[in-house]
Amino acid sequence: MSQFWWVVFPYLTLAVMIIGMLYRFVYNQRGWGSKSSEILEKKWLRWGSLMFHWGILCVVAGHVMGLLVPISVYKALGVSTEFYHTNADVFGGLAGLVATAGIVILLVRRTFNVRVRMNSSTSDFVALVLLLIVVGLGVLVTVGYNNIYGPYEYRTTVGPWIRELIVFHPNAALMKTVPTLLKVHIVASFALFAVWPFTRLVHVFSVPIRYPFRAPMQYRSRVQYKR
Amino acid sequence: MAQQKKTLGRAFSHLKRGERINQNWTEQSPRPRDWEDTYRARWQHDKVVRSTHGVNCTGSCSWKIHVKDGIVAFETQQTDYPSTGPDTPDYEPRGCPRGASFSWYEYSPLRVKYPYIRQELLHLWRQEKARAGNAIDAWKQIVEDPAKAKLYKEARGKGGLVRSTWDEVSELIGASMIYTIKQYGPDRVTGFSPIPAMSQVSYAAGSRFLSMIGGTIVSFYDWYADLPPASPQIWGEQTDVPESADWYNASYFIIWGTNLPMTRTPDAHFMVEARYNGTKVVGVSPDYAEYVKFADLWLPAKAGTDAALAMAMTQVILQEFYVDNPTPYFLEYAKNYTDLPFLVTLRSTTDADGNETYVSDRFLHAADLAPDTAHGDWKTVIWDEAEDVPAVPNGSLGYRWDKSKKWNLRMEDENGQGLKPRLTFLDASDDVKIVGFPVFDERATTVVRRGVPVKALQNADGETVYVTTVLDLMMAHHGVRRGLPGAYPVDYDDNVPYTPAWQEAVTGVDRALAIRVAREFADNAAKTQGRSMIALGAGTNHWYHSDLIYRAIINLVLLTGCQGVNGGGWAHYVGQEKVRPLEGWTTVAFGLDWMRPSRQMNGTSFFYFATDQFRYEEKDVATKASPLAGKFGDMHPADVNTLAARLGWLPSFPQMTENSLEVIQEARAAGAQTPEEVSAWVANELKSGRLNFAIEDPDNPKNFPRVMFVWRSNLLGSSSKGHEYFLQNLLGTSGHPLASENKDFQPESMTLSDEVPKGKLDLLIDIDFRMTGTGIYSDIVLPAATWYEKHDLSSTDMHPYIHPFNPAVSCPWETRSDWAAFRTLAETFSKMAEEHLPAQEDLVMAPLAHDTPDEISQVSGRVLDWRSGEVEAIPGKTMPKFIVVNRDYPNVYNQMVSLGPLAAKSMSIKGMTVSTEQAYKEFAHRVGTYPNSANEIVRGKPKLHDEQQVVEAILTLSGASNGHRAYEEWTALESSTGLELADPIAGERRGEAMTLADITAQPRLSLATPVWSGLEGEGRRYSPFTSNVEFKIPWRTLTGRQHFYVDHEMMLDFGEGLPLYRPPIDEIPFSDTDKEVVGNGEQTLVVRYLTPHQKWGIHSTYSDNPRMLTLFRGGQTVWMNEEDAKTIGIKDNDWVEVYNRNGAISARAVLTYRLPRGIAMMYHAQDRTIGVPGSKVTGDRAGTHNSVTRIIPKPTHMIGGYAQLSYGFNYYGPTGHQRDVVAVIRPLKEVDWLED
Repeated sequence: MSQFWWVVFPYLTLAVMIIGMLYRFVYNQRGWGSKSSEILEKKWLRWGSLMFHWGILCVVAGHVMGLLVPISVYKALGVSTEFYHTNADVFGGLAGLVATAGIVILLVRRTFNVRVRMNSSTSDFVALVLLLIVVGLGVLVTVGYNNIYGPYEYRTTVGPWIRELIVFHPNAALMKTVPTLLKVHIVASFALFAVWPFTRLVHVFSVPIRYPFRAPMQYRSRVQYKR
Repeated sequence: MAQQKKTLGRAFSHLKRGERINQNWTEQSPRPRDWEDTYRARWQHDKVVRSTHGVNCTGSCSWKIHVKDGIVAFETQQTDYPSTGPDTPDYEPRGCPRGASFSWYEYSPLRVKYPYIRQELLHLWRQEKARAGNAIDAWKQIVEDPAKAKLYKEARGKGGLVRSTWDEVSELIGASMIYTIKQYGPDRVTGFSPIPAMSQVSYAAGSRFLSMIGGTIVSFYDWYADLPPASPQIWGEQTDVPESADWYNASYFIIWGTNLPMTRTPDAHFMVEARYNGTKVVGVSPDYAEYVKFADLWLPAKAGTDAALAMAMTQVILQEFYVDNPTPYFLEYAKNYTDLPFLVTLRSTTDADGNETYVSDRFLHAADLAPDTAHGDWKTVIWDEAEDVPAVPNGSLGYRWDKSKKWNLRMEDENGQGLKPRLTFLDASDDVKIVGFPVFDERATTVVRRGVPVKALQNADGETVYVTTVLDLMMAHHGVRRGLPGAYPVDYDDNVPYTPAWQEAVTGVDRALAIRVAREFADNAAKTQGRSMIALGAGTNHWYHSDLIYRAIINLVLLTGCQGVNGGGWAHYVGQEKVRPLEGWTTVAFGLDWMRPSRQMNGTSFFYFATDQFRYEEKDVATKASPLAGKFGDMHPADVNTLAARLGWLPSFPQMTENSLEVIQEARAAGAQTPEEVSAWVANELKSGRLNFAIEDPDNPKNFPRVMFVWRSNLLGSSSKGHEYFLQNLLGTSGHPLASENKDFQPESMTLSDEVPKGKLDLLIDIDFRMTGTGIYSDIVLPAATWYEKHDLSSTDMHPYIHPFNPAVSCPWETRSDWAAFRTLAETFSKMAEEHLPAQEDLVMAPLAHDTPDEISQVSGRVLDWRSGEVEAIPGKTMPKFIVVNRDYPNVYNQMVSLGPLAAKSMSIKGMTVSTEQAYKEFAHRVGTYPNSANEIVRGKPKLHDEQQVVEAILTLSGASNGHRAYEEWTALESSTGLELADPIAGERRGEAMTLADITAQPRLSLATPVWSGLEGEGRRYSPFTSNVEFKIPWRTLTGRQHFYVDHEMMLDFGEGLPLYRPPIDEIPFSDTDKEVVGNGEQTLVVRYLTPHQKWGIHSTYSDNPRMLTLFRGGQTVWMNEEDAKTIGIKDNDWVEVYNRNGAISARAVLTYRLPRGIAMMYHAQDRTIGVPGSKVTGDRAGTHNSVTRIIPKPTHMIGGYAQLSYGFNYYGPTGHQRDVVAVIRPLKEVDWLED
């Protein structure tokens, strides 16, 4: 069973995400975007969107620091475990709370503002609800679990697991001791990855990569496309 | 190029580095170019169809509609107008960016695609229908239950229209009509649609249906204030103007308040080309208007003071070209074609200061000299120079109706004796009398006393009467120096009326410039024999005193012999549409082939009472009477209107408090058999007070206009003067007039309810192809075909052609042409009537009509009221006519779709009775009949089922489009004038007969008919009154000539017998009793508020489409002077509020140096469907440009039953002017869109 949850399921969901996004980018590029509803409602959106986006950006940065950077790096830098966890608890928890509050506002707005609701698709609700679950659980772990049961040292379990997953060396055994709450958070995250390509979340990957490098003047050849 | 296949590689190809050149500055992008195909394909098309835009614009441009894959793709201008000949520029191309943007509407989100109905009403309807089991009772349950009625009426304009079906809404509309007809009378079912010329069949669709059921058709030309009442007053003609190519024939052209490049866009090139031809152009305008930039001279007269300038110019012309240096051409013209030589009596009176003075009274009549002359009260008199005696020349109104064949302008008496009219008694007077003339200025009215040479005559009673000529009166009135005693000016620099110096103080125009232009204008006319022209329009016409402004200006063209001459005369350009094939159209449109007459109501009075605007009147010095008289001056306008209804001057619908269907039943029950007996019975009942005029009790629920159709119109978004009163009182929804009723100035002849009723209208039906300011307030919106989806006819007076609409595509979604829509409604109505509304008689109350013997009813123009016993109540003489009309309700549909039997006999048009026997046969032959129909009503009758057949009917029955008709009409006119007309005018083109196919192939040049006053044809440009001048046909006025002097008692009472300047109304922004507006801490500015026509729309049409919105700022804007704006801290594009006691507007400010200080201009009809935020003043969404306006009818526009001052639909009646408005502007600090 653990093989499924910590090896098969992550690869399956990531595969859906990557192939799904590529497919959408190739065949429905004009549908790619954030589908802004600002024109329909502004006041709630301003609070919800700003809180969520800044919150989630900080949360993502926190995850990079906690999961992708090995504990040895921190040790080498002389960052004590207590200092790390206090900071992760305070700043990570704060960012998570802000992001959660943002999602709640957005969800309430999407549900109760008639103009927005009438212009919403199922995918909009799915994305928001899944985000709420994922971020909510994360906050519970950071703010709740850590302060009740003491800080959980994921840098020795979840961190290595995810790094090995990335380099195609999956090791389900690393996840054995992880608290259930955190496990659910992780599974939910991967579920979110799976629905990602079919929602507005694709806009996360809209980056004008070529823009800084391309020549100032662009032209398109007529000859090349004459049929 | 084929569509590229989508592959992963291509999707990311943009990441690849392309070939670089130009030192790496330029790079080849790998992205494809197939998007370009979209634009290439944009201009490909499968077919081209000829149609036009049925918009309220006088352009009437023919267009090519390009269709691709069954979709309207775009439009371009037609270029195949028949040539105007070698010496004149041609008409093509015609069209402007507005028309070119039309195809956007076809598939736009604004398109009305299905029948819509107000949700609250639909729920009530379904519920009550299920409960009552019958549609008529269901309607009764809804509208007679105040709670239910309020429920849906209050929801008007607040969204909630839901989709329904044609079947369901037709049944509801049928039920509402039948219930209203049975309960209150057919005249409570009303319809408003403007400007038939722009789509003649579509107008006729609704008006034919409503006429047949006895409904009321509301007029538009006067309501829009585009009607120049001066035209009926001077010429007895509604409006007739030159086609635009005739500007090219002018050699001196004054443009005076009509923005030719802006509002006559496709025609403006003629003005520019005329300049290349050497024509001098002078602009008169308070602002630096677009036409001013084409002008050689600019006379910037202050807004509303144009008459003062014209009066001074008149003085210069009279002084220099009549007195100092008499010009033979002018004098000859004046003697033959104007009332200047006619004799006017003088009356002695005592003015307010107790001074004895003479005033000008009425024209001298033949009956004054010989009482037994036939119609002697209607024959006017000149002084024959040869015999030195008074003489009665041909052509006055009495000759029109005495069957003597002497109704012509030959200067001879009825025995054929030639006459030499004397223009002035200056050297041949018996005496000089001091005559008082009223003078009105901004603050007060005074009297100026000047000597006038007179003749003393013995009238038939042996009394001595002093008479003078109209010219002598004019000279004195204008202050022309002839060495006579009295308060004459010393020279032009003397500041007394009406010198150039005097006008400078009023208008701000340099006196030297005024003198120069007057001199040049007349000098040019003298040299060219009348080729000086003046174009005028909204800037001079949309005023309370529009008639005076116009008369003063028209002085200039009449005194210089320019009228009725190609290249000369007046050219009125605002809303002056022309249904060239008028006779055929009138016959079809008002159902005159089945029953006569139809109920036609003057718009301003209708809305004045329906929206209760009369309850908010204020007294103003500008509306006062002359200090030399004053009987009518203190009367409330509503009281004058009830008087006008009572005396038969104006129509008045709803007509009586009692249901007209029941009135006739009672008359029959009382034994009245013949039409005369019925008429007498009704007169008696009215006199005794057992029957009552509805107009005297308009707030009685019995007298509400209950059902209203609006089609081809945006009544509420464009033309609802007093918009907030419309919303609050007529519709019963959130309107926000801030005025409170003026308890000190209320009508005395009326019954008034304590409270102003709310929601008089039970059902408002809008038929349109786009959702407008009217649609959003309507209960039912029906989807109409656009101008690219139907057959119809278009004509204008700007060009001489008749051309069609044709469907480029069939009606999409559930849309139907107006004709098909009303045919559907008629069919449902008739079916329901079989059970609920049997055929029966109706009693129609009709006013005394122009061009009928009614116009010789009110002898000497003396106002005598039968109610106060001053005169007997005689229908058709001293009160309205009462006419029995048969209504075959179950057969209305059958009547609508066939041309009825009356059209096979004769028709009356402009006083001529023409046989239509031949026309009927030709039409039946052209379209076919219903030979074997089971229904005997239609059996054997020509078909009028489809729009094409209606088009053919109009073309076959009209002289402008059928040479035989034209010939018959000229022949008919020969019989009353004794002139030879038919052969010289209509002989050449007698065989022409236009068909729909003909005009689809190419626009056709219309034919000259006596329905209009000008001659036309190949090689000749249309100019009004050329047939009068060249063929000696009289004008349809009292003297048969062009009138300077109008002698009706009420005109004299207001001091308006002769043209003069009266200042515009300074309507107070707020009265003491009005609701107070809470300050917002910002400074305010009081401005004169003008609503000229715009550049980015034709009224509200086009102003809501993205192509036009992007040309300017989009949404409502108000223009104001930049210095003015600075004083209250407004920067360009800031939001402002414009408000007064009538309501409030929110808009963005456009600052400009082109406007003088003290004026704000809000382009008319920007509608409020786009970008209108809330108003801090009202707390609700802000209003339209009409939210600060209110109707103030002018009493003299209500005169009737007297020569040219007799009623005609859209011919005479008070105008809904809106430029006398003063409003307050302040910054709108916080913009609230009221979105949450």
